[in-house]
Amino acid sequence: MQAGPRLRLPPVRLILQVWPLALLVLAGVAIRLSKGAGVADAYAVLSRPFWPGTAQGEWVKQAQRLEDQTRLSQLTADNQRLRQLLQLRSQLGKELLAPVISRDPGGWWQQLVIGQGSIQGVTPGDPVVAPGGLLGRIASVTPTTASVALLTDPSSHVGVWVARTQQHGLLTGLGSSRPVLRFLDKDPGVRPGDVVLTSPASTLVPPNLSVGVIQSVNGMASPAPEAVVQLSARAGAIDWVRVLMRPGRP
Amino acid sequence: MSSLALRGWYRATALLVPLLTLASPGFLKLGDVGPAWAVLWLLPWALVDGARSGALAGLLLGLVLDGLHLGPISEIPALMVLGWWWGRMGRKGLPIERSFSLGLLALLGTAFVGLTLILQLAVVGELQRPVLYTWLSQTLLTALLAPMVCSLQLLFWRQQTSGGRR
Repeated sequence: MQAGPRLRLPPVRLILQVWPLALLVLAGVAIRLSKGAGVADAYAVLSRPFWPGTAQGEWVKQAQRLEDQTRLSQLTADNQRLRQLLQLRSQLGKELLAPVISRDPGGWWQQLVIGQGSIQGVTPGDPVVAPGGLLGRIASVTPTTASVALLTDPSSHVGVWVARTQQHGLLTGLGSSRPVLRFLDKDPGVRPGDVVLTSPASTLVPPNLSVGVIQSVNGMASPAPEAVVQLSARAGAIDWVRVLMRPGRP
Repeated sequence: MSSLALRGWYRATALLVPLLTLASPGFLKLGDVGPAWAVLWLLPWALVDGARSGALAGLLLGLVLDGLHLGPISEIPALMVLGWWWGRMGRKGLPIERSFSLGLLALLGTAFVGLTLILQLAVVGELQRPVLYTWLSQTLLTALLAPMVCSLQLLFWRQQTSGGRR
């Protein structure tokens, strides 16, 4: 009986010579299939000391801020022009920078005292803004100082709206750090995180100044829902404010 | 009226009360609430100078402080009552130089001022604010400061008064 063709295995010597190369090929295939995994990571580890430093990051941020400021100035100018065309009240009058010389945001009286007064043209009712947004309104003036009733003061009532839903309400201070927003509508449709701005319908403050962010909503409040607002301007950490002197006065 | 009130220099120290109230140094605050500086000044003054002078000082301090603060509530009634009470206590010669006694009197006085403010807030319909926190913070802080501040004032003014009478 004649035996069939014998299966010939590659010689062991050849296998020993080829397996490192085969492993390399397999690794190459794996890298190809994984879109460079391993190589890119290794490169990242090796090149980390040469990555752009914080200085370059600051330059980028600075350029971004400059761009934002330019855009803001442009938009503000556009807004002013359009409001004039529509014969609406001017958004911003003359501004006056004032230092905070006394603050009592946590005591019996929620107020600040600023170092500009009637001599500089400040009058009761003028809105006061700080980095972050509206802070309050001037309550009383002396020749060189003025007292600011903060938005958290119980005497403070400011018309605001939630821009996302365009729902209007009255922001009232409670004497605590967070005032309450009482809506005019039964179903305002707001949720925590919504941004609160001054109302375009308000006659006391310029429209669309940032006020804060809704922290919680009480839909069961009567006669209309209420929301607790976290103010965006922190009275306890502000050294300078801007008084928005209302138009039509010197 | 006794000698202290007649000396303009000592009366002028009362100006420190509105100045410190306005300055409200941050390191002397408890939970963003400052001490009752009026109580810290009025307590030794009334103890040394008597009931009438204490009540008058309370009235004047209250007028100045009310002018600095917004809103309809006033500190005048409480400060006048405290000035009168502490003045009578001083005239009776009770041993109140001890730190604990001064701290206790300041605690009671600040609590009384706070209570009158809370009552006024209730009357004007503004009691929805968290007044308990402010009331407790101010009372505790004033009581803690009183042994240091008031005892020095008391000692100094008593020395001056006795020196003036000799």
